[in-house]
Amino acid sequence: MSSELEELSWITIHGRGVLNTGQASLVASILAEAGFASGRESYFYMRYDDAPERVNLPFIYYVVYGNPRVRIVLPEEVEPVGNIFDVVVVLDSSILLQPTSQRALLLDGAKKKMKLVVNTSLSPDSILELIKKYQCAHDWEGSIITIKAKKYDPNISFGMIGATLKAIEDKVSMDNVFDVLEAKENTNEKIQAVTQAYEEAKSVDVKVMAKECEPFKLISEMVEKYKKIPSPALQPWNRETYESLKKRASDAPTYELRLQSMPRWEVLAPGLIEFNPKPREKNIGYKTSFFRSFRPVCNKDLCVDCKLCHIYCPEGAIDFETNEINYDYCKGCGICASVCGSKAITMVSEVEALEDLDEEEKLTIKEALIEYMY
Amino acid sequence: MTKSTTKVVSIQKHNMWTGSRAVAEAVRLADVDVIAAYPIRPYTGIMNALAGMLAKGQFSAEYVICDSEHSQFEVVKHASAVGARTFVGSSGTGLAYGTEAAIVTALGQVPVVGIVGCRSLDDPGNFGMEWNDTFLFRDSGWMIGWAKDPQEALEMVLVAYRVSEDPRISLPSFVALDGAAITHIASPVKTPTKENVDEFLPPYKPLYPLDPLYDPVAKAIHIAPSLIGPEQRKVVDVAMKRAKKEVIPQAWKLWNEITGSNYPTFIDEQYIDDADYILVSMGAYSKNVEYITEKLRAKNIKVGSIRLRYFRPFPADELRKACENAKAVGVVDFSYSFGSPFYGSVLFNEIKASLYGMKNSPLIMSFIFAGGREMIIEDLEKAANLLIKGVKAGKIEKPVRWLTLRGEDI
Repeated sequence: MSSELEELSWITIHGRGVLNTGQASLVASILAEAGFASGRESYFYMRYDDAPERVNLPFIYYVVYGNPRVRIVLPEEVEPVGNIFDVVVVLDSSILLQPTSQRALLLDGAKKKMKLVVNTSLSPDSILELIKKYQCAHDWEGSIITIKAKKYDPNISFGMIGATLKAIEDKVSMDNVFDVLEAKENTNEKIQAVTQAYEEAKSVDVKVMAKECEPFKLISEMVEKYKKIPSPALQPWNRETYESLKKRASDAPTYELRLQSMPRWEVLAPGLIEFNPKPREKNIGYKTSFFRSFRPVCNKDLCVDCKLCHIYCPEGAIDFETNEINYDYCKGCGICASVCGSKAITMVSEVEALEDLDEEEKLTIKEALIEYMY
Repeated sequence: MTKSTTKVVSIQKHNMWTGSRAVAEAVRLADVDVIAAYPIRPYTGIMNALAGMLAKGQFSAEYVICDSEHSQFEVVKHASAVGARTFVGSSGTGLAYGTEAAIVTALGQVPVVGIVGCRSLDDPGNFGMEWNDTFLFRDSGWMIGWAKDPQEALEMVLVAYRVSEDPRISLPSFVALDGAAITHIASPVKTPTKENVDEFLPPYKPLYPLDPLYDPVAKAIHIAPSLIGPEQRKVVDVAMKRAKKEVIPQAWKLWNEITGSNYPTFIDEQYIDDADYILVSMGAYSKNVEYITEKLRAKNIKVGSIRLRYFRPFPADELRKACENAKAVGVVDFSYSFGSPFYGSVLFNEIKASLYGMKNSPLIMSFIFAGGREMIIEDLEKAANLLIKGVKAGKIEKPVRWLTLRGEDI
């Protein structure tokens, strides 16, 4: 970790899809302007390789306060290393349940005293439980701030700004934000939303030791195990080599190891050749479950086996014979639920699906862990 | 077509053909499967000749009349990826319009062979000969060969197929023909026999064709920069290095053996062993350069000339070796590069970069013949004299000269 990086304060804003993008962009721009108003050099940007125009795909915005002499750090240099982010803002709580490679972007890069701001109706304690179950990979002595931002502002941005202010009081004051808002339209409403959200956001101090958490143990075990697998030798390009490399990369338990596992140039086939899955096989290298904030759940008692869901599914994620939904590839678009004539398929929020765990039925904790994290 | 019994005399038939007609013959001999056509001077001549051959049933191919140059390059890119041998061609701003498709052809390593009939990048109506349209592709991964006359154009196209389709490299090739000077001027052309061409040019078998019968593969997949961005570029880079080191020299050696011709691989040299002054050029007008070299040799002036046969891969090592003992090098160049180092032309800067760091590096001058105006022998004499004057004075005040320009060359 260079000393240059430590001089900066980072806020990351996580969301999904088109709607969240607009909201995150507004939050980021106002926080950055408030940073200027407080006399700091500030900037904000969206992670360059994100594609949030796709429905539900996660994205990240960064807001940086710092010293004008410090160079701009490109996001790709930041992602795999830890101890950078001061504040993590989450606009969609299902993001907290990302698979490994995405999760690395969320909390692994955080400082030990990181403050987490989540837009949710859950209490901070429930969020803490979620994180202990699915997220924690290093020690954390910060705080969790929760808010249901929609209550203060139909477009959640100003509610989120109010809650975020609680986390960055040492850098930007409420007055700085007011200065910025006064130059905009409908100032009073916005100031009211920000103030109210600031006052009503619930904050809880947390102390989590990673070694006590199940996911951390699993990750460290997996890293150990993964490192023992020998890398495939440099050999002429063919389907077997390709698939072994692809599998190795997709099995990597951390983002950093995944990048290290990508093929060297010597084994690339000329002309960007990718060996596709053979008919009826699935693409092992690229699962799309992290697109999803809602999941389709089928009630077999109502199902009349009409195959409409199979025909309409744009991802081919529903099996023809068994009607099983493959949650590795389902993006949660909801087309199956809307074409289902007997209303057997319903869309369930990912977070709800997990909260219902105790009432058994859908998923055991073990299954959820495998599905969401590894 | 006459059948030869021995290899050495296998090139027998003489025809008075323009470069366009000669290239069309090469396409027929190579038994091309897909031809993409869209008219532009001088490619129109090749199109016409090929359409005539197809109509007469001399060979069979898919002849796709496209709606633009962009579609032309798209058609051959995809046809080649599924395993067809393809032919395409264009020039000038038309070629620039096809650039999007052509760039991906190289990065996707699809072995298309194309013709550039060098033509000025259109100030409206300017169809003069200029090299800038081809130089648009100098960084893109296309191999670029430069033919001297219709005869060489024909043979270079055939060799280009073998080089491009070599599985060690699998890169597309352009054969550049100087517009008008090669494409529209007829000269005697001897055609190799079909048997010789078949012996030289095996059928095209791509490593991984886009054909589910072989294996389901995807080509030109999405590249995330953090995943395999630099690695993919390196594959193309190494292919170009292999082309320079192995594939092109081997292909010309084999061609010379089969047809009994005697082509050098990368550079064609005249009188350079003891030359103090060397004129470097490419393409059709290098014949004028050779003529002026002989004329000055008759006056006991030690002039030599070099013709580059390939622009990509660039024969830097060969050039350095050839210019070892020279005092001055003059580059006869039909291109411009506004705002470039020393305001010189494209080829000049490439050659200057190649000769940098030599022990006794020669003085170097750029003679620019831009705008498509015909170069005459007097201009070349003037160029040679400027080199001689520079060497006598020990330095060159003004290394870049526009020799066909009316008005002051400032």
